[in-house]
Amino acid sequence: MKITEMLRKFFLIDLLEGMWVTFRHQNPADLVTEQYPMQRPEISDRFRGQPRLLNDENGKPLCIACGACALACPEKLIKVESLRDPETKKKVLTGFDYDLSRCMFCGLCEEACNSDALTLSPGYELALYTREGMQLDKTQLEQGVQGKVFEK
Amino acid sequence: MSDNQFYDSLEEEKEPGRTFLDSNELVLNMGPQHPSTHGVLRVILKLDGEKVNGLECVIGYLHRGIEKIAENRTWAQFGPFVDRLDYTAAVSNSMGYCLAVEKLLGVEVPKRAQYLRVILTELCRIASHQVWLGTHVLDIGAVTPLFYAFRDREDILNVFEKYCGARLTTHAFRIGGCRWDAYAGFAEEVLHICDDLGPKIDEYRDLITGNRIWLQRTKNVGYISAEDCVAYSITGPVLRASGVKWDLRKRQPYSSYEDFDFDIPIGTAGDTFDRYMVRVEEMRQSIRIVRQAMEGLMEGPIIAKVPKVIKPPVGEVYVSIEAPKGELGYFLVSDGTAQPYRVRVRPPSFINLQALEKMAKGSLVADVVAIIGTLDIVLGEVDR
Amino acid sequence: MITSILQYLHSNVTPGEDGSLFWVTVYVLLVFAGISVGVIFMNWFERKVMAHMQVRIGPMRVGPHGLLQPLADALKLIIKEDLMPTNADKIVFWFAPVCVVMTAFCGFIVVPFGRTHAITDMNIGILFMLGVSSVGVLGVIMAGWASNSHYPLMGSLRSGAQMVSYEIAMSMTVVSAVMMTSMATGTGTLSMIGIVQAQLQQRTWFAFSFFPVGLTALGVFAIAMVAETNRAPFDLPEAESELVAGFLTEYSGFRWSLFFLAEYASMMSVSAIATTLWLGGWLRPFPNLLGGKTWDIAFSLVPGITFLLLSALCLFYFTRMPKIRAMRKEALGLAGFGCVLGAIGLVMLLPGVRVRVQDIYWFCIKAGFFMYLYIWYRTTFPRYRFDQLMTIGWKVLLPISIGVVILTAMIGVRHELLALVWR
Repeated sequence: MKITEMLRKFFLIDLLEGMWVTFRHQNPADLVTEQYPMQRPEISDRFRGQPRLLNDENGKPLCIACGACALACPEKLIKVESLRDPETKKKVLTGFDYDLSRCMFCGLCEEACNSDALTLSPGYELALYTREGMQLDKTQLEQGVQGKVFEK
Repeated sequence: MSDNQFYDSLEEEKEPGRTFLDSNELVLNMGPQHPSTHGVLRVILKLDGEKVNGLECVIGYLHRGIEKIAENRTWAQFGPFVDRLDYTAAVSNSMGYCLAVEKLLGVEVPKRAQYLRVILTELCRIASHQVWLGTHVLDIGAVTPLFYAFRDREDILNVFEKYCGARLTTHAFRIGGCRWDAYAGFAEEVLHICDDLGPKIDEYRDLITGNRIWLQRTKNVGYISAEDCVAYSITGPVLRASGVKWDLRKRQPYSSYEDFDFDIPIGTAGDTFDRYMVRVEEMRQSIRIVRQAMEGLMEGPIIAKVPKVIKPPVGEVYVSIEAPKGELGYFLVSDGTAQPYRVRVRPPSFINLQALEKMAKGSLVADVVAIIGTLDIVLGEVDR
Repeated sequence: MITSILQYLHSNVTPGEDGSLFWVTVYVLLVFAGISVGVIFMNWFERKVMAHMQVRIGPMRVGPHGLLQPLADALKLIIKEDLMPTNADKIVFWFAPVCVVMTAFCGFIVVPFGRTHAITDMNIGILFMLGVSSVGVLGVIMAGWASNSHYPLMGSLRSGAQMVSYEIAMSMTVVSAVMMTSMATGTGTLSMIGIVQAQLQQRTWFAFSFFPVGLTALGVFAIAMVAETNRAPFDLPEAESELVAGFLTEYSGFRWSLFFLAEYASMMSVSAIATTLWLGGWLRPFPNLLGGKTWDIAFSLVPGITFLLLSALCLFYFTRMPKIRAMRKEALGLAGFGCVLGAIGLVMLLPGVRVRVQDIYWFCIKAGFFMYLYIWYRTTFPRYRFDQLMTIGWKVLLPISIGVVILTAMIGVRHELLALVWR
């Protein structure tokens, strides 16, 4: 065994093995870079991204203004405002403020929601130029914050 | 005051008339911003030429007051914060915290949830070790294994994303079990990772382990003996590389680890090379555990019955798990209300960092970087 | 005028030997432009090759496949603020990068790209190149000194010590190669063109002569030249993650880019030495074994065909590019580049051109192989610690190179004795 060890050491075989590994990886099929923004990544359904308020099939909002999400949030960044409708005696959502700048996307609010209205959707492109845009109101949550689409 | 005048003033204090040209000791500051301190760690070195005479760590640049925050959140709301401690291995932290609260509450986690937890925690161990591997080897100079390690880590992070919705700060587990069940395709993807990873770890071996330059840079560098390790309360791969057979998954099994058959790699020399080999071998053993857990995954509930508002009885509990970095412990004190009275985290990186001075004294400046890398510290844990 | 140019193209000596100042100037400008383009290309090539070895793509945005990236980098560096430390030695601070760049470029005066494609052929060619690269060490030390800060000073002293140590091993192997030139005729030569001609005469590249002596000499030189130019795995003085920052710390903007330029130019210079001394310089493969007119013509078609193949590859990738509007500029750029390469290839197939150009092509291929090796080493190997570096230079490479010199001398003496015996 000593002879092979010595030969390995003399002919720098270990260095050559390492060089072969790096050489092999040049195969174009191995390259893993995603050319964002030309190629977009695949996002799973459970991804905790942009918060959204969902409507049911008829377009009516699912939110029953119970305030469970506001209680569940660790950062207390949800404010739910509601009015009691005199006819149906049910609460109607009038205002929903969500402070995205303090949100840590933990998902406790979507877990707490009793009517599956609040959800963290797979939207991840939330970059803005101003801080004010991060205070989301009810309409933004319902429609989703649309990024500016640039055409070349 | 210029640099030279400052150093002259330091020497003047020792003896009048001395200038910095007379001194043998150079004080070098490896500042918080540095490519290889793995975060904002400040190290003050006292050098004699190239040899390190003394070393002082200054930490606290990443202190966010997480333990204080816990006193103002409910038990369930603190879950997401725990991920931010060791951010390279968020799932582990979550596991430890949930186990601690469950012990305080006295709930039994269903078997299926325990197996799911083990699968995700072991995948997280592999991911954390890959970050360590890439950055440690990068500090020593080889630039490629970083990219290979992160490419392999992508598969694991994709599994996390599909499972719980986030790659890094996963908030994977809830008190009582898991919130989500395995998604469609979970088994295939996890087993695919297990199959792929074996040959990739062999690739790391070809590229790094046999390499003579690597051996020269890491053998006999940063030696710490087993007695010193135990005296400093060092845990994790650092302890095992010095020869002490101590792994909490075998000694104090939690979450069904006793059902699985795996080995604990133990080193002999207690130097950087042995710590490297121990961690690479741990990756292989993690793959074994994941395979056994996937095979043994049975049907059943994934979360125990836990009240909506968690109010544990008055008491305190200390639960520790074998995190990738070492023994991660949670000491929880409950006063019966919905908010913890005190949450104290025993961070493995913080305790392991004590060994830095012992290991680096007497070695060369170029080795300090290697030693910081081999301890595998994450400043999020050290500073909390 | 055209006739005089055409007439000159039929000469068979370098302009320096010819003595015509005009042509020397033309060649100097051509070589300077060539080296500059080479350095810029190396910058792009290194980033791309390193990226591919690291399973990622390199620069892709600036120009098609990042081809304009070096120009963007150069522009950024030029318009940066020019800092000088307050207590720095102004003249030395200014002069250090100039010194390093000048010496790196000066070495190319004697590099022969072909029998007539050198600026001049000094009869002490190789000695001149080694001497000039030693003056470059002085520039490195000046850079550290002038920065007036003890970290760059320590870094530059380390770097200088490293370069000096490995120069000794390099020079020993060069001595062995020079000794090999005298094997056939009894008189050796230090001139670069003479060394290649000796290889032609002895019907073998010196790398393969007296196996394994030539190969060991080449191996030692290949390792020593990496250390000489401060590249991985011997790049501790300029590594980013080390504590003592290198001699480059106080340099920013254009001055830093001059050091960078000089590093690549000296890489090319030592690759040129290695090619000339051991790999047969500008000689095509098997000039003697596969001699004769048909083989000559066949081999001279190779440069043109290579360029045509490259352009075909570019055009193939152009057809495979995604046909979306956002990638139109990139796609057109790639097609344009492919067409330019194709045009060059067609020009190279013309009989008049290909005879003159094929020498340069073979030389560049061989030197390019060494440059690729540089990038390959940087991607693969970790760094040596400084004391381990010096140990290798003095305790490993130097004894081996002295052994090679002694063996070559013994072989040479045996040759002489055998020649005597046979007569």
